[in-house]
Amino acid sequence: MSRFADLARHAMASLLRSKLRTALVSLGVAIASGALVSMVAFALGVQKQAEEPFQKLGLLSQIRVMPRENAPPLDDSAIARFEAIPGVMKAWPDYRISEVILRRGEKEWGVRAVGIPREVGLSGILDAVLIAGGAFTVDGETAEIVVAKRTAKELGFDPPESAVGQPVSLEASGLEIDASGGATVGSRALEARVVGLYEMPVPAMFMGFDIALVPVDIARDLPGAAADPRTLARKVRSRSDVGASFEVIVRTENPSQVPRVEAALQELGYDTRSTLTNMQELRRFFVFLDVLLAAVGTVALVVAGLGILNTQLMSVLERFPEIGVYKALGASDGDVRTLFLAEAAAVGLVGGVAGLLLARGVSEILELAAGAYARREGIEGDIAVFAFPAWLLVGAVLFSIAVSVASGLYPAGRAARVDPVRALRSGG
Amino acid sequence: MPAAAEPSAPLVRARGVSKVHHVGSSDVRALDAVNLNVARGEFLSVVGVSGSGKSTLLHVLGGLDAPTAGRIDVDGRALGEMTPHERSIYRRTIVGFVFQQFHLVPSLDAAGNVELALLFQGRPRAERRKLALESLERVGLAKRAMHRPGELSGGEQQRVAIARALVHRPPLLLADEPTGNLDRATAAVVMEVIGAARSDLGSTVVMVTHDEATAARVSTRVVRLVDGRFSSDGSAA
Repeated sequence: MSRFADLARHAMASLLRSKLRTALVSLGVAIASGALVSMVAFALGVQKQAEEPFQKLGLLSQIRVMPRENAPPLDDSAIARFEAIPGVMKAWPDYRISEVILRRGEKEWGVRAVGIPREVGLSGILDAVLIAGGAFTVDGETAEIVVAKRTAKELGFDPPESAVGQPVSLEASGLEIDASGGATVGSRALEARVVGLYEMPVPAMFMGFDIALVPVDIARDLPGAAADPRTLARKVRSRSDVGASFEVIVRTENPSQVPRVEAALQELGYDTRSTLTNMQELRRFFVFLDVLLAAVGTVALVVAGLGILNTQLMSVLERFPEIGVYKALGASDGDVRTLFLAEAAAVGLVGGVAGLLLARGVSEILELAAGAYARREGIEGDIAVFAFPAWLLVGAVLFSIAVSVASGLYPAGRAARVDPVRALRSGG
Repeated sequence: MPAAAEPSAPLVRARGVSKVHHVGSSDVRALDAVNLNVARGEFLSVVGVSGSGKSTLLHVLGGLDAPTAGRIDVDGRALGEMTPHERSIYRRTIVGFVFQQFHLVPSLDAAGNVELALLFQGRPRAERRKLALESLERVGLAKRAMHRPGELSGGEQQRVAIARALVHRPPLLLADEPTGNLDRATAAVVMEVIGAARSDLGSTVVMVTHDEATAARVSTRVVRLVDGRFSSDGSAA
C-alpha cells in the first residue's frame, strides 16, 4: 500500500511538472463534472420542491375515498366504519369551497377554503408550515381560520403575523342543497378569527390561489359545500358539479399503512386515491428525468475523458526516455501503468471536486436570480431549485475519477509496453 | 528466483549470446555468439567503435533486452528464465545503470532522482531520503541534493546518475559511455567516482566506452568488441 502511495505521490509530482496543461485538463473535467452535478441537482431539487409540501403536510398518509356506483353512501356511518379500520387516525368529509372572499376593512382577497378537523392541530401536521399562531381550538365551535402569509399581507396585516387573533369577514358563495334536495345558489358571510398563519414551502408560483383552512364543522355549513355527505354522494353519482368535492379524506397513522387501508376501503366498495400512489408515478417521472440529465452530463464527462486520453498520449510520447529510465531502475510494467493511471485519477479527483464547487456556485447564482425574479412576481420565500445530497457529491467525484481512469487506461497501457532500450536510445 | 551462486563463481556468465535487431526488411546482428565471464569485484571495460554492439551487450546483461540466442547468468540467476516481472526485480536489486545521457528526471531534484531507484523497491520514504543523501555524499554532491538537473553541470549530473545507480548497492554496475558527454577533466572526476564506488561498495563494474585510454587506466581488464564478437578472450582472468 505504501508503495502504491509512493507511486501515486510521484505521479502527482509528474503532473505538477506541466501545471498549465494539468490545469486545463482538470478544468475540462471540472466543467463536465459541474454540468453533470448541476443537472442532477436540478432534477433532485425540483423533485424535492414537488414532494416536500406533501411530506410536510402529512399528505402521504392521506387517502381520498370516492363512492363507486351502488356503493354505500359516504355518510356519517361510513366515516365511522372507516375510522374503525386499523391504522386509520381520522376520517372526514372533504369540503372545498372555491368561492370564498376574505375581507378586512376595505381590503379583500379571494381564497379557497378547505375543511379540516379541529383535532388536526393535535397531530402536529400543521406545525411544519405554521409560522405564527396555531391550529384550531379542539373543542370549540367558533369560526376559526388559518390563512396563508400572502393572504394576511393582502388583507393589510403588516407584519402578516399580526393577523393572528384578529377577526376577518368570510363570505362563501356556491350551490346549496335545500330541504327538497334541489340546488340553489347561495351566499353566506360570517366573522372568523385568524388563529394561525402558514407558509407553504413550495413557491406559490405552482399555485395561483391561497388556501384558507377552516374547521370541518364550519365548512360543512358554507354554501358550496353541501351539508350532508349522503347528498354529496348522490350528486357524485349523478355527476353534477356543485363546486364542492364529494369525497371523504382518510388519514392513516403513517404512510406505510396507506396500501393496507386503501385495500380495506376498496373492500368496503369505494374507490380510493392516495397521494402516495400518485407520488410513485411522480417519482418514476423524476427517476426518468434524473437518468436523462445524468446521461447528458455523462456525455460531457466522456468528452472531457477524451481530453485526458489525448493529453496522456502526448505525455507518454514526451516522457518516452523517462519511461525507459523507470524501467532501467526496476519499474515493472505494472508500476509504469500505475504511475499513469494515478495521474489520470488525480486529474479526475481535482476536476471532480472543482466541478462540485463550480456546480454549487452556479446553483447559488441561479437561485439568487430565480429568487429575485420570484420576488418581483410577488412570490415570497427562498427558492432552492437545486438539491445536493451527500451521495451526489461523493458519487460525482467517484464518477469523475472513474471516467478519468478509464480514459487513462489506453495511454497507461502504451506506457507500460514501452521498450526500455528504444526509450533510452531516444533520449539522446 | 533461485539462490545466488557460490562467491567463487563469476558474477556474470554469458554463453553464445547473440542479438539480432530487425531493421526494416533486414536483420542487423549486434551480438554474435558472445561468451563472457565477469568475476566479482572486477572492473571490465568493453571497448569498440560505434555500432560494435557494446550498448546491446549492456542491455542484455542488464535485463533491459532479451538476447536472440544464448544464455546469461548473473549471480547464479538465468535471465532467460525470468518472467518480465522477475526481470524488473532483477534490475531494481542486482543492477545499477549509468548512461551517457545521464537520463535524470528534470522535475526532480538530485535527491529525488537518486530516490527513484528505491521508489520501485517500495522502501519507506524516510529510508529512501536517508540512503539518497548518503549516496550523494559518496559522489561528493551532498550540498547539491536540492538542486534540479538544470542547475547542475554535466559532470555533476553524471555524478547524480552514478549516485542513483549505486544507492541500492547493486552487485553489478553497468555503465554505458559514462564519460561520453563530458570534457576530459570532468570525465576523469567521474571515472574516479566510479572507481571509488567500486572499492567502497564492492560492486562489479562493466563499462562500455570508445575511450581506450581511460578504459586502460581505470579497468582491471579490457575486452574489445568488433562487429558483435570479442576480438580477445572474454572469459574471466
